Amino acid sequence: MSQRSHFSRIIINRLGSMPLAITLLVVLALASVIGTVLQQNQSQQDYLQQFGPLWYWLFRSLGMFDMYHTWWFLTLLGFLMVSLSFCLWRNVPRILKQTRTRKVYISDRAFSHITHQQSWLLRDVSAESLTDNIKNRLKDWEWRSEQRGDTLYLRGDNGRKHKLGYIAVHSAMLVILIGGWLSVHFGFRGDMSVVEGTSEHGISFTEGTGVGHLDMPFEVRCNEFSIDFYPNGMPSEFRSNLTVIDQGKEVLTSDIIVNEPLYYKGVRIYQASFGDGGSDVKLKLYKLDGSGTVRDASTQVYQTYKDEETGITMEITDFRPHNVENMAEAGHVKDFQDMGPSLDFIIRGEGLKPVKVRSFLNAFELNDDNRGSIMMISTTGDKQDFQSVALGIDFSDPQEWALYNAFIRELIQTDPNDKSAKMVAFKAAMTEVFGDKRPDNFQAMAVRVLQATQVLPRMPWPFLPVLEDYEQKYYTGLQLARDPGMNVVWIGSALLVMGLCIMLYISHRKLWLIVRPEQGALRLSMAGISNRNPLNFNREFHTLLSQMEDDLRPHLTAVPNASPQSESK
Amino acid sequence: MTTTIQSPAMASLWFQGKVALVRYWAYLGLLTGATGLALFGGDGYTESGYLPMLISMQGVIWLGTGAVLGGALCVVYSIIRPEQGRSVLAERLVSWGDGILLMVVMMAIFTLFEPSASAVSYEDQSNLLSIKLIMAMNMAFLFSAICYILLLFAPDSFVGRMANITAWLGVYIGGSMLLLRWYESYLFMDGSIGHAPVSNLYEVFMLLFCMMTIIYLQWEKRYQAQAMGAFVLSLVAAGVFFEIWLASVGQADIKPLVPALQSYWMKIHVPLNFVGYSAFGVACGAGMAYLVREWLEVHKPNGTMLRAFPSLEQLDELAYKSVAVGFPAFTLATILGAAWAAEAWGGYWSWDPKETWALIVWLVYAAYLHVRVQHGWEGRTLAWWTVSGFLVTVFCFLGVNMYLSGLHSYGQLS
Ligand code: HEM
Repeated sequence: MSQRSHFSRIIINRLGSMPLAITLLVVLALASVIGTVLQQNQSQQDYLQQFGPLWYWLFRSLGMFDMYHTWWFLTLLGFLMVSLSFCLWRNVPRILKQTRTRKVYISDRAFSHITHQQSWLLRDVSAESLTDNIKNRLKDWEWRSEQRGDTLYLRGDNGRKHKLGYIAVHSAMLVILIGGWLSVHFGFRGDMSVVEGTSEHGISFTEGTGVGHLDMPFEVRCNEFSIDFYPNGMPSEFRSNLTVIDQGKEVLTSDIIVNEPLYYKGVRIYQASFGDGGSDVKLKLYKLDGSGTVRDASTQVYQTYKDEETGITMEITDFRPHNVENMAEAGHVKDFQDMGPSLDFIIRGEGLKPVKVRSFLNAFELNDDNRGSIMMISTTGDKQDFQSVALGIDFSDPQEWALYNAFIRELIQTDPNDKSAKMVAFKAAMTEVFGDKRPDNFQAMAVRVLQATQVLPRMPWPFLPVLEDYEQKYYTGLQLARDPGMNVVWIGSALLVMGLCIMLYISHRKLWLIVRPEQGALRLSMAGISNRNPLNFNREFHTLLSQMEDDLRPHLTAVPNASPQSESK
Repeated sequence: MTTTIQSPAMASLWFQGKVALVRYWAYLGLLTGATGLALFGGDGYTESGYLPMLISMQGVIWLGTGAVLGGALCVVYSIIRPEQGRSVLAERLVSWGDGILLMVVMMAIFTLFEPSASAVSYEDQSNLLSIKLIMAMNMAFLFSAICYILLLFAPDSFVGRMANITAWLGVYIGGSMLLLRWYESYLFMDGSIGHAPVSNLYEVFMLLFCMMTIIYLQWEKRYQAQAMGAFVLSLVAAGVFFEIWLASVGQADIKPLVPALQSYWMKIHVPLNFVGYSAFGVACGAGMAYLVREWLEVHKPNGTMLRAFPSLEQLDELAYKSVAVGFPAFTLATILGAAWAAEAWGGYWSWDPKETWALIVWLVYAAYLHVRVQHGWEGRTLAWWTVSGFLVTVFCFLGVNMYLSGLHSYGQLS
């Protein structure tokens, strides 16, 4: 054997060897952990903030933010493929040869090494009838016999498929990996956001640390997006009505929901997400200087509104038509209520701390009791830090705003030390706003207005922005994918499961019988072996032995003289 | 039970030979009918429509036809080929079908005792009968665990029988309770949120207890491995305490399904996954028993406790058998999960944390199978492997939900 072929033999043996298989599987498992602990495909800014520049740089250069597509992870998978190929290369020919030849002859030495065995010395019986007897007992076994000199060898096999299981499982893994490779190389998968009433034709996807784009050969128009809710406010269904437009022609209109995608020209279109598509919103800006002036502001979600008078800007970030909350206290029976539409914006201005605000269109009601409008304010800009502020009056009722302002004006003119002054001022304000026709709920109104005097003057802004009206528009988040490797993966998967079942549930059991003349009688020796499931085989072998002994009893010459070794070692 | 004692001939007729085969095919037909109903019955499949469909006239027709066809096919076949007498597989599996049927009957009886619809509401689910049954199930499992542990110190056939009976009791109460919970999910919001009880951590935990116990009980029945029960049922008992904690933090309510979960895949994918998890749990129990026995052999070679343990080979073999049950099931479950993902998310594999951890678990047990074939590795290594493998498994079905976020985050504690 030449040096080179010797060397390559070693390589092949190593690459297809069991220790390598174990190492590879464990290393792959460990490597996979990394990507689950480190969140993948987030924005680079988030990573930079999270890890600081040094770690960020290190992680980034190792591709940790898109780990499963890095060269080293793919190399690992490639190595698995190579290793699988070599272990098949090494073992398949051997297995096929073994199945083809199935040697019947067994040397006495090899025979004596088999754990389960027994032997009998028998009279008045022919070798044929002995072998027929066992063949009858074990009908579904495959038998072969061979005569060597005066000795008859008989070999029985059951569960020879077992080895095919090995081939099936390991080639299935190869097939699956190849399918995955096909998916990655010849397929695509990306997101497309389509605002209601508009159409799009490009998808985007993360590519390493950047974003890739791809144009589809058709356009998708979103006619409508709708959400159904359960009574507790959880969404029960997301539905998009889509029209596919190919070369200017509307070819297909259909609804899609989660779990039920649309299929067009080899591309599947999935309902993946949704969001605000730039709804038109109207706010009212209530001036807090006591003048009672109210101005209108119209804008759209994702726009920044600038108030010319004060220079204050509002960056509108989100609109939500429903805000269902559990109003019950912790531990009490749940009570879900819809607080109605809300608008999120970030308000900024000279000398002002930028804060995130959520303004509600409706007043807050608890147990049918109007508690006035509320607003959520987060000074950190984080949604988790929202704190609700009860504004006192119900801004959806213009008269309450008028009453509040009248009250403030009256209050300024009274003596702050006079206890009854507030009462007098309020009465005057009531007369100013309502004349002598007081509304029925004026007492509740009075409570709210009084509360407002505690809150509104402390607001940092010159005016209070409150959501007034909206025209909602969603965008639907679609995912478009083409996957030419998918069917290959399914074929591999089917093969894998079948192979596993064969491999794990079918054991290859072998029996050898040797019939040899001895002192004018016949010595029958039997040995059995199973490549797995020793407990069952032990039991099976014992059952077989006792059955054989029943059959052979008339011919038995003496107690079996070979020491029974049928306990498993 | 009584039939086996009084007339073994009757019982063996019922569980063996042709009768078993025909019944087996009838069950298969029933299953096919149920699948057919899900796929083609009515106006197509909706998660909240399936149970009413099953118990409607339409369901009776589909399932009944399936069962009759399956049984009839088998009868015809055995007339044509009379020599094809018995099937070991059928004889093994019919008793499973019987067990499930018994659970369904129990569930039907339970529904009679369910408080009226006006006494329960989505907001206040404390009146549901299943809450009381869960309590009973917990008690049964805890009692069984105590008996099994007791058995280690005082081998006694009565205690052994109590342990076994309460374990079965827990399984049957648990199984029928889960079915009842499915029924109960239709009591709210005009049935619009009805779904199979495999949608959140709380529910699948109870599935896990039942499956782990069933698998262990099979080993006990076939291999008299009673000492292993102390370890497996202790794991179940630990789970019971966790489940009680989950309920105390308000995770026990029946909640509507988010859109992504409204698919028949859920009913296939989740239970199959838990066959895998439970089998790995039982393997861990066997592994722990192995390690304890090994310790006892060195430190207390003459103790009574040692006699209660199965042999090391047997424990090793049982651990392997459990993995051999769990690994193909887990493989299939992962593949079906990929098929579901392909339908719901647009790709069969997204490297989402749950998927990735499923892969990790799978790799760990694939490595275990290889280690086992590899010569020269001791039983102890394998025992440790099953124990630590189960830790990885627990992280996969628990830790990922609690600590990592991703597409599977509806499993998250809220
Ligand atoms: C990647 C996934 C793999 C899976 C799911 C897998 C699965 C299996 C299973 C289930 C067994 C049977 C163990 C038993 O007898 O109980 C097995 C055996 C074996 N595997 Fe793998 N394997 C994988 C990778 C590999 C690799 C990469 C190699 C080679 C480097 C390999 C080499 C072998 C060998 C040599 C056997 C022994 C066959 C025998 O003698 O019975 N396997 N494998």
